Amino acid sequence: MQSWRRKSLWLALSASWLLVLLRVFPLLRLAVPARPRAGAPQGWPHWLDRELLQSFSQPGELPEDDPQPLPAPHGGSCDWGACFDVSKCRGGGLKVFAYPVAGPISDTQRGILASIESSRFGSVSPEEACLLLLLSLEAPAGECSPLPQQWNGGRNHLVLGLHPNFCPQTFQLGQAMVAKASPTVDTFRPGFDVALPLLPEAHPWRGGAPGQLGQHSPHPGVPLLALAEERGGWRTAGTESSACPRDGHCEQDHGPEQTHPGATLPNATFCLIPAHQPDALHFLQALQAGCIPVLLSPRWELPFSEVIDWTKAAIVADERLPFQVLAALQKMPPTRVLALRQQTQFLWDAYFSSVEKVIHTTLEIIQDRIFGAPAHPSLLWNSPPGALLALPTFSTSPSDFPFYHLQRGSRPAGRFSALIWVGAPGQPPLKLIQAVAGSQHCAQILVLWSSEKPPPSRWPKTAVPLTVLAGQRKASDRFFPHRALSTDAILSLDAQSSLTTSEVDFAFVVWQSFPERMVGFLTWSHFWDEARGGWGHTAEKANEFSMVLTSAAFYHRYYHTLFTHSLPKALRTLADEAPSCVAILMNSLVAAVTKLPPIKVPYGKQHLEASPPLAPGDPDPQPPAQDCINQMVAEFGYMPLVSSRLRLDPVLFKDPVSVLRKKYRSLEKP
Amino acid sequence: MCASVKYNIRGPALIPRMKTKHRIYYITLFSVVLLGLIATGVFQFWPHSIESSSDWNVEKRSVRDVPVVRLPAGSPLPERGDLSCRMHTCFDVYRCGFNPKNKIKVYIYSLKKYVDDSGVPVSNTISREYNDLLTAISDSDYYTDDISRACLFVPSIDVLNQNTLRIKETAQALAQLSRWDRGTNHLLFNMLPGGPPDYNTALDVPRDRALLAGGGFSTWTYRQGYDVSIPVYSPLSAEVDLPEKGPGPRRYFLLSSQMAVHSEYREDLEALQAKHAESVLVLDKCTNLSEGVPWVRRRCREHQVYEYPQVLQEAMFCVVLRGARLGQAALSDVLRAGCVPVIVADSYVLPFSEVLDWKRASVVVPEEKLSDVYGILQGIPRRQIEEMQRQARWFWEAYFQSIKAIALATLQIINDRIYPYAALSYEEWNDPPTVKWSSVSNPLFLPLIPPQSQGFTAIVLTYDRVESLFRVITEVSKVPSLSKLLVVWNNQNKNPPEDSLWPKIRVPLKVVRTAENKLSNRFFPYDEIETEAVLAIDDDIIMLTSDELQFGYEVWREFPDRLVGYPGRLHLWDHEMSKWKYESEWTNEVSMVLTGAAFYHKYFNYLYTYKMPGDIKNWVDAHMNCEDIAMNFLVANVTGKAVIKVTPRKKFKCPECTAIDGLSLDQTHMVERSECINKFASVFGTMPLKVVEHRADPVLYKDDFPEKLKSFPNIGSL
Repeated sequence: MQSWRRKSLWLALSASWLLVLLRVFPLLRLAVPARPRAGAPQGWPHWLDRELLQSFSQPGELPEDDPQPLPAPHGGSCDWGACFDVSKCRGGGLKVFAYPVAGPISDTQRGILASIESSRFGSVSPEEACLLLLLSLEAPAGECSPLPQQWNGGRNHLVLGLHPNFCPQTFQLGQAMVAKASPTVDTFRPGFDVALPLLPEAHPWRGGAPGQLGQHSPHPGVPLLALAEERGGWRTAGTESSACPRDGHCEQDHGPEQTHPGATLPNATFCLIPAHQPDALHFLQALQAGCIPVLLSPRWELPFSEVIDWTKAAIVADERLPFQVLAALQKMPPTRVLALRQQTQFLWDAYFSSVEKVIHTTLEIIQDRIFGAPAHPSLLWNSPPGALLALPTFSTSPSDFPFYHLQRGSRPAGRFSALIWVGAPGQPPLKLIQAVAGSQHCAQILVLWSSEKPPPSRWPKTAVPLTVLAGQRKASDRFFPHRALSTDAILSLDAQSSLTTSEVDFAFVVWQSFPERMVGFLTWSHFWDEARGGWGHTAEKANEFSMVLTSAAFYHRYYHTLFTHSLPKALRTLADEAPSCVAILMNSLVAAVTKLPPIKVPYGKQHLEASPPLAPGDPDPQPPAQDCINQMVAEFGYMPLVSSRLRLDPVLFKDPVSVLRKKYRSLEKP
Repeated sequence: MCASVKYNIRGPALIPRMKTKHRIYYITLFSVVLLGLIATGVFQFWPHSIESSSDWNVEKRSVRDVPVVRLPAGSPLPERGDLSCRMHTCFDVYRCGFNPKNKIKVYIYSLKKYVDDSGVPVSNTISREYNDLLTAISDSDYYTDDISRACLFVPSIDVLNQNTLRIKETAQALAQLSRWDRGTNHLLFNMLPGGPPDYNTALDVPRDRALLAGGGFSTWTYRQGYDVSIPVYSPLSAEVDLPEKGPGPRRYFLLSSQMAVHSEYREDLEALQAKHAESVLVLDKCTNLSEGVPWVRRRCREHQVYEYPQVLQEAMFCVVLRGARLGQAALSDVLRAGCVPVIVADSYVLPFSEVLDWKRASVVVPEEKLSDVYGILQGIPRRQIEEMQRQARWFWEAYFQSIKAIALATLQIINDRIYPYAALSYEEWNDPPTVKWSSVSNPLFLPLIPPQSQGFTAIVLTYDRVESLFRVITEVSKVPSLSKLLVVWNNQNKNPPEDSLWPKIRVPLKVVRTAENKLSNRFFPYDEIETEAVLAIDDDIIMLTSDELQFGYEVWREFPDRLVGYPGRLHLWDHEMSKWKYESEWTNEVSMVLTGAAFYHKYFNYLYTYKMPGDIKNWVDAHMNCEDIAMNFLVANVTGKAVIKVTPRKKFKCPECTAIDGLSLDQTHMVERSECINKFASVFGTMPLKVVEHRADPVLYKDDFPEKLKSFPNIGSL
């Protein structure tokens, strides 16, 4: 009995303890705060019944939505779809009519009106135009000018003010778009209004100063930071972050310190710009100087933010984290600094350096909205040469332009069209045709017959198709974007030109490496004539050159479109009056786009002996041509031509090695 | 357990029969047992509160077991959303602080079930998609389980679909979150906002300052730069297997596949269909489907039945009309099919429009222009349409195809705002992978001819050929544009000659001693290099004339992003061996220049030293060869451009050096160099070198012209 009792007691005890232990262990594990696996963050649980969870929208729920389309609540505000009537712009694209300014007119205003009128957007009557432009409502006395008759609630109107303060906005802008300098973020209507840069009083209205950047990378020893000061001007600070306390103002500079007077441009890698609107002026200065703008929580919309990708040229940082910003700037990899710096210069030069560019950019943005899908892709806005020089009417596919092959990983097509201009004498250039047709890269020959005489009915048989186009006997006609020009490359020729197949082949291969430049055989150079106080040009042999003659040159067909649609009307008329001017204009245009000189390839001496130099290459300066170069400079606002001191020859050109080894041996004929 | 309890009840009956000593002993024992059992019992019936308060428990559990939180009717309610919120006004960046990785930290609140006073749930606990979304965040680099270190908070309260929740109570639930603080730094995800009858375009739940990632914003409710516009996820993305179909012409030009289309719009579409019967297809709901067929997967035109979404692959353009809501799940299906969406939803803020360039993948048409849509689309060039089709598909793959993609893109956008200097670029967001691989973004893209006045820095790498080195220094110092001379002394066993022994030259001369005899020392970005142009020159290149070097510098100024050098070399494909071959013979082409004498931008020194792909740099140092080929690869790869060889070919080895030659030496040299090319091509994954047929000479080189009038007369002489 005793033993039974003891046994049962022990059994009970051990059973209880077992149970207790089993239950208490997990409890202990819970009670001890130590984590099971230190370091490994424990995430969102994996639910056992995950598969059973329901979808957020049951099939069929969406279609059961009330299909009643409700008018979008406009809240008294406007957006592009609601407030702009695109149907008025059908056909001719964007046509702009600018109201004449009432009362006294400032130089800038006159400049703006003139540049709109002469541009391809210009229109003479308000009925024809699809955009009516009202130049800032500011009258000199401070009162507002009356609204024009065609106001119509502001529909299809653009109110343009280069200064942030309009006349007191007592009247309703209604459905008019507003393009003004540095609008505040709160009033700006994205996709409808246009944010302009805040321009200084004396901003040039055409041409404009080039960017200040002389070199790609920052000079060693240049200060890291410049700070915009409230009164204008800049203060440079050393690279120590301790120099700039919390509010972004450097009060105690340990590094070398310098305060610049108002107008000078900062010389630093980064330019710190505080949040407030007057600082927008600093923004443009920094851009011109190639100093990367660091904007601290700007309360104003960045200029042309609709199309310009500012993250490529500036840094928008939070003003509440100055130390973090400084640390980030100091640690920024050189690759990024290099890219940002270059982008500032490109943007300055493409869109901001003159009032005219600012106006044209504004109109180009509105035109892009009207075009909808076939507008400038972002790449065209944000890489050289910029959207003003890359016309969407030519193409919207970047690979069609000469500029973007690298970015797109594409290459220009491997063949060219020869365009032979036959002028007054009307002699069919049979020998030239044979020489050109002999090139393996030639796709077709086009003869632009611009002579009084009718073209011959029989043409020599060639390996490639030959087409005769009826020209209009105007010199500018040779740069018209003829539909028949189907290849990327054009070899522009005169009937009198003389070339060998070898020369054509080599020049074309060179052009493929430089599709955005002109590649030619004979050169001119420009110079500043002190005596006459103007520009001149010469065909004399010299150690450098800045133009290649278009009587024998390769270039991209896009330049025909640009020549016809982007060159100011005055210059195109000039080209028709003075035929030798076309070469200067074409070279200037290409140089203005690329900022680079043309390329010269070797040209056999035998041509020069056999025939007089290519037609217009007369060495003695002709008065009309002289005028041409100066008029061109006046219209461009600066001298775009760039000189080069080199010529590209075949690798083995005139090397002491067997001629049989050389691919372009006929180039070396004495 | 039941048995033991019974036994315990019987226990006291046994006690009186024992001795007092034993009695105390047993009583103590039993009370311990009893206590243990009570504790166990308590734990058994009250387990969840303890378990769920510990976030670290990832054991698999059921959603139904989550703790219940009762919301009193009077609990506080957040303010309505503040429309003026911007990052710099409503977002607390201090929480994000300094972060070396430039990554925000995101905390997720644990899941709870909210009920009102009477125990009625406030919403469905969690939907499949929201669970996936939180899992994706939890699995990402953004996640932190430390609430005190978090910069962004994501509630586990599911508000993806406004129809499934009670607005006021959900808002109360939000307000009682432990770090709510007026919603600061809280992120809510919502795909289906609004409800009948007026369908607001943003979530109606009052949320104060919380950021809203919403599908279906209009420009009036979207807080630019604060909210994030996200897609409406299409469940078909996961349910249907749809193989990719490439861009190009398709059976239909324009297709409309949505079922709930307002009658006015349907009339417009039907009119289009009537006018262009061949190329337009307008589909509708199927009315007479047999039972069991999933009707969401079918569309009908009269009696013809089409499979959805497969039918979308038959069209080039697909209309995405707004319904009651602006955001439509159909957009996702359309993109996936590689059909260009024609978005007809006035004031709709397209998904991720802050970073995605929708112009490249869609056409936006105002609602009142719906009847003209055919004409508008006809105006788009074919090539652009194909580009858009490709882009549409890529957007779906990258940002639409899964809840995870949507969640991570949203967080990336917020991250980019907080760390703008580390933000992804336009290209990284928008370029499809094929473009990313084939494109080149030249680091020196600005067309700029540096001023001549800057001059160049000559860097001579030398080991112990002092005599030859001094001759090189003397020759190079005659070049007008030289601004500094840097001698890199690569011999650790021997000191450079004393200062007095060096040639006296007109520019600063600096000797840098290296720690190790490595070839890469020649390409180190020394602080002493102040000019952008660098001339790398070997200590035995004495045959280059001053004219040739000066001309080389002038050529570099016109091509500052390229290697401009004197001796040129070529790589060739050896068809027999199926590999690359190095060629130094007299060829008509050139693809490399030797850096024994070459000008280049100093930035390439930085790239060579710090950004050389793979193990090339160490490999070159170990083999003591091919540093020049590596530099040629590097520059060509990063710029996409060919080298420029300047001036005619000349004999480059010094006359006295040729004595040691021997054909075999030359041959092993060629074999080694070929090996280098093959090695580098495999590391780069491509052959970046570009072959050209030209070299640069002075304009008047070998022309009939008086020599004394030429700028660079002394060129090419041997």
